[in-house]
Amino acid sequence: MNTKPNILLIDDDELYLYLMQKTINQLSNELVVSTFTDGEQAVEYISQCTDEQIELPEVIFLDINMPFLDGWGFLNEFKKLKPKIMNSINIYMVSSSMRDSDIKRASHFEELTGYVVKPVNKVQLTEIFKKIYHENW
Amino acid sequence: MWKRVLKMFIGLYLTVLALSLFLFYTQKVKLIESIKERQILATTMKKAAFEDECHSFLRNTHYWASLKFPKNFDPLTEHSSYLKSYLELIEDITFYDQFRFIDLEGKEFFRTERVANDSIVISALQNKNYHPYVKAGLQLKRDQIYLSQISLNKENGEIEKPHKPVIRTVAPIFDNEENQIGLVVINFKMKKILDQIKSKVEEKNVYLLDEDLRVISSSTKTEDLPYETANKNSSLDNILNTRAITHNRDSSFVANDHIWSQQSINLNGATFTFGSISNLPSEIVTASNWLIALEIPPKVVKAELQPLFESLLTFNIISIFGLLTLCYIFQKKKIEKEQFYTELENKNILLTRSKNLLEENNSMMNEMNNSLGIRNKQLSDFNYLISHNLRSPVTSMSVIVEMIQKEKNPDILNQLLPKLGLVANSITNLTKDINEYVAILDNKEIKIVDINLAQLIEEVKSEFTETLLNNSDFEVLLDLKAWDHISYSKFYLQSILQNFISNAIKYKRDDVASYIQFETALENKKKVLYVRDNGIGLNLDKHGENIFKLYKRFHRNISGKGMGLFLIKSQLEALNATITIESKVGQGTTFKIKF
Repeated sequence: MNTKPNILLIDDDELYLYLMQKTINQLSNELVVSTFTDGEQAVEYISQCTDEQIELPEVIFLDINMPFLDGWGFLNEFKKLKPKIMNSINIYMVSSSMRDSDIKRASHFEELTGYVVKPVNKVQLTEIFKKIYHENW
Repeated sequence: MWKRVLKMFIGLYLTVLALSLFLFYTQKVKLIESIKERQILATTMKKAAFEDECHSFLRNTHYWASLKFPKNFDPLTEHSSYLKSYLELIEDITFYDQFRFIDLEGKEFFRTERVANDSIVISALQNKNYHPYVKAGLQLKRDQIYLSQISLNKENGEIEKPHKPVIRTVAPIFDNEENQIGLVVINFKMKKILDQIKSKVEEKNVYLLDEDLRVISSSTKTEDLPYETANKNSSLDNILNTRAITHNRDSSFVANDHIWSQQSINLNGATFTFGSISNLPSEIVTASNWLIALEIPPKVVKAELQPLFESLLTFNIISIFGLLTLCYIFQKKKIEKEQFYTELENKNILLTRSKNLLEENNSMMNEMNNSLGIRNKQLSDFNYLISHNLRSPVTSMSVIVEMIQKEKNPDILNQLLPKLGLVANSITNLTKDINEYVAILDNKEIKIVDINLAQLIEEVKSEFTETLLNNSDFEVLLDLKAWDHISYSKFYLQSILQNFISNAIKYKRDDVASYIQFETALENKKKVLYVRDNGIGLNLDKHGENIFKLYKRFHRNISGKGMGLFLIKSQLEALNATITIESKVGQGTTFKIKF
């Protein structure tokens, strides 16, 4: 197995990134985690992957509030790239916002698999991974 | 009120007056015409009566002239029996005053005088050859009859008293051999006839004048032939305009309010046929012609016109009262109407005023609504800011704390502990920023002052070293024609200008001469400020909704906290101003601020 990441974390909060990585590692040593601190960088990575026909990660945890390109902006760009993407990708919106308007807005994106409110604990993560990796998990 | 009534009344009444005067005048003319006609008729009757009398005299005289007298006619002795039957006739014809035969030398050879109404006497003969009527008589040809002037009878050169007006007829007489033996002269008593002539007809004065316009008889005089006894000038009493009276023309005219009607009696030279006895016409020779004139004095004319005057007066009085009432009612109605309209207008003005007030209130309400809306948005943003930005570090912190509690490996603990410091730092920074924002939101004590925009820009500009250098590649341009003063918080405006200039410098393009331009304008009476730069611009499709949000950054390689535009918007909205943006990547950005 090459270094293909299983999980993308996109968030400008570096502490969050550190903690998530740590939590995921505690759950499994097999999952490879990649991080980006804003949407723009993540979009660049995904478009590069599609250009080079590299397989994309199965799960993306996407923050809403980020500089340069926020979560919504990322989703718009992702929509454009989607026809080129071969495998299915589960995108989870992860936000500390509990605003109805954000949740409602998120429901309009069919690209989204779920909406998770920070902090994300081990139990939540386990459930998500179970859904994605089924019996393999 | 009364002035208007009077004005209207005068206007109407003058027309009515003119009309009534015109009618009055035409009626007056008609009336005078009818008076004249009646007068002419009366004059004609008077003339006819006078002529009838004259004809009667002439017929009498002709009778005597047509007799065939005995040769050498001597009525007093030889032929007294012949005359006797004629004497009875002379006595019976009571208007004979004197009856005389005069020989061809002018001496009387027979004379009777009336001494009483029914008796005559044969009286002493007189020589009359010096009398004009005798002289005229001797000139007469056969079939000519002379009619004398009317005059007062004189006996022996003295006017007989009481006055006895007489007229004389003279005709030649002939014997049975057709030789003229003399003249017959008859004096006719005129008293009764003149009295009849001069008797008034319907208050009209009657004048009988001779050819020289001397009064023979007049209703205005008790005595006939006044000129024979009194002053000759009194003949017409200056009543009759002698120039208007002419002998040759029958006429009718008005002079000095007198209405005159005159007809001449012109017997001289006329021929006259006396019944059927002799059909030979006789020619009349008269000493004078006469004139009958009827005068209606002004008093009588006035009396005749009186009813007309009265009806004119009555009509006008009724008109005055009627018109005054009419005008009064009309003007009263009109004034009432005007008052009504004025009241209506006043009410209208009041309504318009209250409407304007309502509109003002409405626009005030709208403004308040807008600012409340903005404030609401700000609060919601603030809420989001706290819940999101503050929540993240706090949750992170709780996760770290949880991890530390479970972790026993000292190496990992050593890794985790400094992370808490990071969390603390980010919370501190966030708190600072929030403080700044809260200060703007809590704008109770903003000091609004009059700001000279050009001056303030100059002040702010001087804080940036980039703009101070002479050969600087960054310029601050001003176009403040529309307005250059504004009431605003100086602190906020200064901060706003600082952020604009700072951004413009930060995001300038290196390949062009960069500038920021401030341009003022007026739109819908509101002050507008355009801030333009020719910097690197922004992709609004991508970032549009985040442009003015906190901690949003759009350019990776340029340092920034993501607070500049957030603060600008907050500081503008704190004082009810709004901001919009237009931008093109690689060309520049324009902000539009509506104060």
